[in-house]
Amino acid sequence: MSAKQEFVDNAKSGKILARKCSKCGDLHLATVYFCKKCGNKGFENAVLDGTGTIVTYTIITIPPAGFEKYTPYAWVVLKLGKSGLRVSGFMTGIKTPADLPIGTNVKITGFDDRGIIVERQ
Amino acid sequence: MEKVCVLGAGSTKYGRLDDSISDITIQASVDAIDSAGIEPKEIKAGYISNVFGVADKQVHLGPVVMTNLGISERPSLSIESACGSGSVAFREAFANVAGGFYDAVLVTGVEKVTHTGTEWTTTYFSYCSDFFYEGGAGASFPGLFASIARAYLNEFKATEEDFAEVAVKNHDNGLLNPKAHLRKKITVDDVMKSDVVASPLKLYDCCPFSDGASSVILCNESFAKEHNKDYIQVIGSGRGGSPAALQDREHMTTIPSTKIAVEAAYKMAGITPKDIDFAEVHDCFTVAEIIDTEDLGFFEKGQGVQAVREGQTKRNGQIPINPSGGLKSKGHPIGATGVGQIVEVYDQLTGKAGKRTIKDAKIGLTQNFGATGASCAVHIFQSV
Ligand SMILES: CC(C)(COP(=O)(O)OP(=O)(O)OC[C@H]1O[C@@H](n2cnc3c(N)ncnc32)[C@H](O)[C@@H]1OP(=O)(O)O)[C@@H](O)C(=O)NCCC(=O)NCCS
Ligand SMILES: [Zn+2]
Repeated sequence: MSAKQEFVDNAKSGKILARKCSKCGDLHLATVYFCKKCGNKGFENAVLDGTGTIVTYTIITIPPAGFEKYTPYAWVVLKLGKSGLRVSGFMTGIKTPADLPIGTNVKITGFDDRGIIVERQ
Repeated sequence: MEKVCVLGAGSTKYGRLDDSISDITIQASVDAIDSAGIEPKEIKAGYISNVFGVADKQVHLGPVVMTNLGISERPSLSIESACGSGSVAFREAFANVAGGFYDAVLVTGVEKVTHTGTEWTTTYFSYCSDFFYEGGAGASFPGLFASIARAYLNEFKATEEDFAEVAVKNHDNGLLNPKAHLRKKITVDDVMKSDVVASPLKLYDCCPFSDGASSVILCNESFAKEHNKDYIQVIGSGRGGSPAALQDREHMTTIPSTKIAVEAAYKMAGITPKDIDFAEVHDCFTVAEIIDTEDLGFFEKGQGVQAVREGQTKRNGQIPINPSGGLKSKGHPIGATGVGQIVEVYDQLTGKAGKRTIKDAKIGLTQNFGATGASCAVHIFQSV
């Protein structure tokens, strides 16, 4: 199974598959092949809880193809709880910026044709 | 290393154009050749930057251009680096002339997309992002920059009205540029009342989708001297990279590739930000111009908004930014933009910029990036 498929399968159950560098301990999303800090190729899998907080976001009113039926929706960057690792995804049910201040608690709930799905905690 | 000069420059109008992608590429190239006062036979190679040739049914543009210039035997290549394609093509041409491989080359950038409509273009542009995390999760380009804008508003003392000032200034400059796409005076109020595209960015915070082509002739110094025409010298060139996805950047309000590129360019030129008389920067969205002016070293981090409020980046300000109107008003034909910025610097430094001339300017800088700044190239030019 490719690293990406493994990552997707984890996201489907609300988890983030990360890789911990076996040399320096730096954490990466599992879609990376070499450590950005030390260049090492060896990693250990680390399955992280998909809960975290909003780092930044936007609410999109002019969408790319395939997203018309969800508009408006939010695209968000979130920071995972303990590790601080960041990941991005799609979030529905958000109409105005007042609905989603930076720092809002969110969780990953799945993965489908909208990418990683994020919801309020 | 040979000294490298820009001997001629030309551009089509930017906007909605009827002619085909190959026609406009050739028109801009012929303009540049005429401006340089050379014969096509003197061109030893062609560098063509373009992203979505597929939209107008022509990729592999190089040979089509060279054939129409009567020099089909000359080598050419096409370069794609998203919105930063033009400056990357220029850099490759620069390196080849500096390295002595060719004495004179053509660099032409082009894009032709407006006929495809809003949805097609929004969708295809999103392919320039790290698609698995960004475009594939519904992030449009305005959406990605809106996320950067949101982070900036959160981190610094800035307001949406401050961003709007950038659009107002660039529209004022574009009014004086006959080739600009959106030639219309606007106010902060107009920006604030325009429709939201991706909050907090509104229509007037965004550059438009544009068609257009721009072209320059690059040559070594002895070739330039023999030809008895106005020319400018390339004194600095730098490139850099950033993580492809926004999530992987430690700070969302700075673009690492710009900093790496400009540091290399300043070093090559042996100058500092204070020596720059004006700059054409990548203002695909209003917030981007503010971040660019900080990353390029003109202002401290977070101070870019204050500079805009004080008018320091206007044509008569301390460091004029985007006298051409920038991507915002002049337009953003993505494969052409990086070359178009250099056309503006050439026009400014050779006295061809008409009413938008920056007084006494001797050194100009261009900064052009791809996608959310995942790649960037900076060039510095001096009048001779
Ligand atoms: C904002 C955006 C969605 C508008 O879509 P569009 O297809 O250009 O819109 P339309 O063609 O329907 O234009 C509607 C009107 O708004 C005007 N307009 C379009 N874009 C404009 C802009 N950015 N600023 C001001 N006016 C604009 C058009 O001229 C047109 O006016 P008209 O009806 O008087 O002729 C689109 O321009 C956009 O996404 N821009 C960003 C491009 C981008 O991401 N580039 C890559 C950067 S990294
Ligand atoms: Zn490591």
